[in-house]
Amino acid sequence: MSAPPAQPIAPADARTASPHQRTTTLFHHDKPAWLFLAPFAIFYVLFLIWPTIFMIISSFFNSSLVSSGLGSFAGLANYREMLTKDEFWSAMWHTLQFTLYTVPPLVILAFVFAILVNRMKRGQGLFRVVFFVPFILPSATISLIWLYIFTPANGLLALVQTWLGFDAPRPVLGTPSLAMIGIALATIWWTIGFNFILYLAALQDVPRETYEAASVDGASPWQQIRYITIPLLSRTTTLVVVLQIIASLKIFDQVYLMTSGGPGTSTQVALGLITNTAFTDFRVGAASAASVLLFIVIMVIAALRQLTERSERTA
Amino acid sequence: MTRHGSGNGRLRPSAASSPWGAQAPPSARGPSRRSLLRAGLAGAGATMLGGGLAGCGTPLSAGLAGSELSPGTLSFWNLFGGGDGARLTTMLEQYEAETEGANSLQAATFAWGNPYYTKVSLATLGDKPPDVAVAHLTRAKNLARAGLLTEITDDMLAMVDLRAEDFNQKVWEEQKTDGKDWVIPLDTHPYVMYYNRAVCEPAGLLDSDGLLVPIEGMEAWEAALAAAKEVTGEYAMSTPNINETSTPWRWFYSLYAQQGGAPFLSEGGTELTFDEGLVESTLAYIQSISERELMPRAADYGGAAQHMFSGRSAFYLQGVWEITTAQSIEGLDFGMTPIPTIYDQPANQADSHTFILPAMDRSEEQMLRAMGFIKSMLDQGLTWAEGGHVLSYLPTLNSPEVQALEPQSGYASAADNAVYDDPAWYSGSGSNFEVIVGAQIGIVMQGIASPTEAISNIRSQLGNYANTADPL
Amino acid sequence: MASETVDTPRRRTGNGVSGAAPPALTNKPKAKEGSGAFNIIAGVFVGFFALLWLVPSFWAIKTSLTPNPTAALGAEAILRDTNPTLESYMTLFRAGDIWNWYLASAITSVVTVVLTVLFASMAAYPLSRLQFRGRRIVFLLMILGIMVPGQVLIIPIFQQLGAVGLLNTYWAVIFPQVPAVIAVFVFKQFFDGLPKELEEAARIDGAGFWRIYWSIIMPLSKPIVAAMAVLTFVGVWNNLLLPLFVLSNPELMTIPVGLATVQGSYGQRVADIQASAILGCLPLVVLFIFFQRRIIEGVAGTGTKG
Repeated sequence: MSAPPAQPIAPADARTASPHQRTTTLFHHDKPAWLFLAPFAIFYVLFLIWPTIFMIISSFFNSSLVSSGLGSFAGLANYREMLTKDEFWSAMWHTLQFTLYTVPPLVILAFVFAILVNRMKRGQGLFRVVFFVPFILPSATISLIWLYIFTPANGLLALVQTWLGFDAPRPVLGTPSLAMIGIALATIWWTIGFNFILYLAALQDVPRETYEAASVDGASPWQQIRYITIPLLSRTTTLVVVLQIIASLKIFDQVYLMTSGGPGTSTQVALGLITNTAFTDFRVGAASAASVLLFIVIMVIAALRQLTERSERTA
Repeated sequence: MTRHGSGNGRLRPSAASSPWGAQAPPSARGPSRRSLLRAGLAGAGATMLGGGLAGCGTPLSAGLAGSELSPGTLSFWNLFGGGDGARLTTMLEQYEAETEGANSLQAATFAWGNPYYTKVSLATLGDKPPDVAVAHLTRAKNLARAGLLTEITDDMLAMVDLRAEDFNQKVWEEQKTDGKDWVIPLDTHPYVMYYNRAVCEPAGLLDSDGLLVPIEGMEAWEAALAAAKEVTGEYAMSTPNINETSTPWRWFYSLYAQQGGAPFLSEGGTELTFDEGLVESTLAYIQSISERELMPRAADYGGAAQHMFSGRSAFYLQGVWEITTAQSIEGLDFGMTPIPTIYDQPANQADSHTFILPAMDRSEEQMLRAMGFIKSMLDQGLTWAEGGHVLSYLPTLNSPEVQALEPQSGYASAADNAVYDDPAWYSGSGSNFEVIVGAQIGIVMQGIASPTEAISNIRSQLGNYANTADPL
Repeated sequence: MASETVDTPRRRTGNGVSGAAPPALTNKPKAKEGSGAFNIIAGVFVGFFALLWLVPSFWAIKTSLTPNPTAALGAEAILRDTNPTLESYMTLFRAGDIWNWYLASAITSVVTVVLTVLFASMAAYPLSRLQFRGRRIVFLLMILGIMVPGQVLIIPIFQQLGAVGLLNTYWAVIFPQVPAVIAVFVFKQFFDGLPKELEEAARIDGAGFWRIYWSIIMPLSKPIVAAMAVLTFVGVWNNLLLPLFVLSNPELMTIPVGLATVQGSYGQRVADIQASAILGCLPLVVLFIFFQRRIIEGVAGTGTKG
């Protein structure tokens, strides 16, 4: 960095300076600061804060989409309904199921790919493109592609299955026990690029000297990976895992597009249930209660992440 | 890439000790009022530009300025896919020819069921509904109660020379909500019985004209099943119960209604008033049919159809819309008839397709256009009837061409014995009600659950809905 | 400035995306680490997966180039077909819906990008450079904002938009996506890494904050602006949940919504459906080809912070 400017603008340490001193040495720029913040702040309040408040309020009423006003007071009835409703818990379970099916592969595979690609002398760019391009595609595109691959009886998957010797391959998206797996597969193909890039960037931060030193000491590639790479990447892994989990909790697109929550309700997820309750059944109050519950779950996990990040940073 | 971006590490403006040089801005304190005003006007101008220069009625102007989309064009939404969709396309093309406008019609088809109704509802709530839409009668009632429809008055009907008496009165009465008319019926599509002639003949079930001898009463029905099973060596009837909830419901409800069962739901769905003993015995009977291997224990939509098409069963119970599929099967000789009156009175579950006018402010011209469209559709009833539907518009229904259609004539009476789902905010075609109850009936048919278990499940699951405040 | 040559690994300064280009993400030459056999196996392994990863896209493309009747027969028929045809694409272009969807997606994406980049960078500036009352609160709100799952707010947002009559307009899609808190953080990180001398010099000369922001900071921020612009564009283009419920009219729908809801009318026209899926993402792929580096850097950067 260049030499620090030697002028009176040098900021005094705000914490040790007396308030009086602070105001003379640090410029308090309230008005300009707030002017800069204003546009963003307006949208923030309008589309983040106010909706959250409104959602919480509606959850205590029998609000309906087709009638104006809040509707009759329902107290905790909406919450009670959701917490005792099979459909709600199964939606939460399916959301969790989706998370369990996608997070490990998305983390482990991305990690493995990144490590292997990182070792390459040439062609890294090509691999980057191949794994990452699906990530920029719209969910609608990938859902249509995979819906089509999963076409029962004569889709690509069915064809491959017959080549491999399966006699009567079951329709993936039409079989309750397989449908979520199908959705997970499509998701993994779609989003692995993101984690892959994160890992690749982190790997390329590890100084070559570390590996060279280990290699000189006789460590095999496996050992290098196990004792150098993995520990050094633990922070990225935590990040990737938490990001994945939060993203999985918000899942909506693929389920809506590929199975509409079916067969039956065997793949219905939390956001799917919420939007159905609100926009098809018109029951905004009940849907808001479910939204609040989902909201809390996600916030708790996100908060945990912020806390661990903080402690990691100070550690 | 260097640290300062833009490729060359030098700043704009170039290389003076102070970047300001002679360019000290007149107002150093942030954007001047004038520039803000300019920005605001530019923004407003852009919006107006969107509305004006881009041309009123284009998606651009509608998207930016909320102006009306394609004024002068009729927008029509429907949920007809497959064979029905193809038929509809023919009818729509005819309408376009009649109205001689290049852009006289904008039609959109959406996925059947809840996704469609959600779209229509949300569009109406957002003040941009289609001019005309299709709706099942049972769902239309709920839309009406939600205030999402425009009432159909006699004056409106008169605009295109229609009268209430022109329609099948059973349907007309059924569609009324709060004593007012909200829809214009197009058809009734009941649950009927298809029969494979190649199987029924050796079973002695056909008369001299090759038509099924009407089966009345339990004895005759059982005898027919037995005879059919003898011929096929496999099953006597088939109806789907895998990945299907509406069909099991229709089968069950037809039988339940034939026994004069009490309404399933009452008071707008807040009370479950079905006759439990009757439900149990009906479910037990249905279960016994699969237990005695008179029908496949588990069959999905296509599979159940295939059974009859290939002669592995004599009777196929399904809605009339499968007629097009059946007609496309090479070498299949089939007929259609209403569900046999196995019990006390004839009845079969049905719903009707109707035209609705979503709630919006319409000018005289728009109203005339909408009604004109509906009239055109009604007049083309023959095309629609070929798809198996029983027309509600009597002048077309009673026309010689429609009357002569085979095998449609075999089940024309089904429309008069139609039983519709009981009204509730959560009931209707493809609704939660059908999903819940149909699922239970389905597993009873598969032998996985007992009638008593099914009833208790129905009670608890429907109970949730019954106890929930009506959102409409 | 440290002389950052290509060989020196970029040190993570805790700033996430710094002004420095991460040279590491380009093809950095790596010496062999010892085991040639391992590298070969590794190469084959990941190469196999890379090929696997290409299959779905190629399959979709191949199908879209097959005539509809052949495609309806199934995967084998498609594999055997050797007469590629652009029929499906022509049908779609002629039918007209896709143009409306392109328009809707383009407008909503571009306008959102402009507003988001502008407002987020404006918000990031005081957070990075200015002392003001309430700064702590704003920070807290920002952190909260990152945690809030916007999608769960779809219901109240729908009602709000309905209340002000914005449903079924492009604004209904644009406005809720403008407050992207992560963008503020990314800009702030970047601004933090910019040298302060120029601004201080400008302040001495009497320049206002807006001038500094607009004429100094922003020009220096071109790389991050580009990255954020592209990422925001992709995000808005691909958003399904919001436009699905706030846009009901087929003529106003964005690409994802159009693909999702009007498939009823395509029926068995399998090739047409795949072609529409491909057309829907074509602009993004083109964008990717031109901005590959920026996109990937942006992703790597936001990942470390966001």
